[in-house]
Amino acid sequence: MIERRTFRAMGTEIELLVEAEGAAGALAAAEGEFHRLEALLSRFREDSELSRLNRDGSLTAGPDLCRVVELALAARERTGGRFDPAIHDALVAAGYDRSFEQIDPRCQAPCLAPGAAGGAASVEGTRIELDDGVRLDLGGIGKGYAAERAAEILAMAGPCLVNAGGDIAVRGGSWPIGVETAREPLTLELSHGGLATSGRDRRRWQRDGRELHHLIDPRTGEPAETDLLRVTAIAPDAIEAEVAAKSLFLAGSARAAHEADAAGVAAVLVTEDGRTIFAGGLA
Amino acid sequence: MASHTGRLYALAFALVAFFLAWAVVAAHPWATAAGDPRLRTLAAREVQLRREAKLVNEVVAQRWALYRTELRARRSQIAAVTSAPVSSASVRVVNLPPLTVTRTS
Repeated sequence: MIERRTFRAMGTEIELLVEAEGAAGALAAAEGEFHRLEALLSRFREDSELSRLNRDGSLTAGPDLCRVVELALAARERTGGRFDPAIHDALVAAGYDRSFEQIDPRCQAPCLAPGAAGGAASVEGTRIELDDGVRLDLGGIGKGYAAERAAEILAMAGPCLVNAGGDIAVRGGSWPIGVETAREPLTLELSHGGLATSGRDRRRWQRDGRELHHLIDPRTGEPAETDLLRVTAIAPDAIEAEVAAKSLFLAGSARAAHEADAAGVAAVLVTEDGRTIFAGGLA
Repeated sequence: MASHTGRLYALAFALVAFFLAWAVVAAHPWATAAGDPRLRTLAAREVQLRREAKLVNEVVAQRWALYRTELRARRSQIAAVTSAPVSSASVRVVNLPPLTVTRTS
């Protein structure tokens, strides 16, 4: 028997599935974990640890923020800067300066100059230090992290799946997951690990007549221009899947397919001209 | 005078000899350990306990050896799973209705 719970957190719809009976306690604890982590990691909450870090440039932080920043910096290193948490100002400049539901999708305000991206950040023990002018956004990786933490809690009750608005963590069982392709939907069965989708088909808006989206290319500080519409990646956990999806998206279809094959990262790439490419051993 | 002193020495010697003999008799030097049934029981119990301890140690050693073998096998299984790239091995395309959907987050 599968028990299900849905709720909103981190600006998206969260879905918890667990194959167990009487798992209400575990479901409530997993939901609580999402709200706890949102209170720490949201850049839209003035009192969150992340907002204090961005405001002050340094912070003696709790273990969760330290860990997520460490993971994000490691991902930046691993992806050669394609994934970068230091894109806060670029997102704000692009108009993503408030929770997504509050953004006017057809704002006529003029576009701001591209925001800064990149810059040094370090974690030493519980101390996080940012260089002058560096501010972090942990939206994507934070959702992956929260999905993993919630899955750890749910797994004590039974095989489970946590879906944080597309960032999925699985612990045991076999879970058929729908993936949008260029044509008919595809179902992938995942038994462990993580899966995430990044793209510019949602979370997009207009500013001064210009189409914008939330996936910033750290090299330009502007919404990424790529021939890909959407990338779904499968990895050992939701955090790595999130990083892989974003990195592959920025790479563009030809390079992304090659990189996914070389790294053995199963991926579904959907191009803007309506092609679906399976990579990384997925057929 | 000399006779009186000699008698005193003789008396003192006799007293020392008497108490010495008493102590020797009280110590029962002729009684062996084998003669005491309580000691015999204790000795037998000690032998039995030593034998049982040896058996227990052998069983524990066998179980530890088995545990170590299984642990090695389990660790190599875990290493094989974690070192393998998660691709088609853990994910496959199926013809089932999805329980959930992933989309741009």
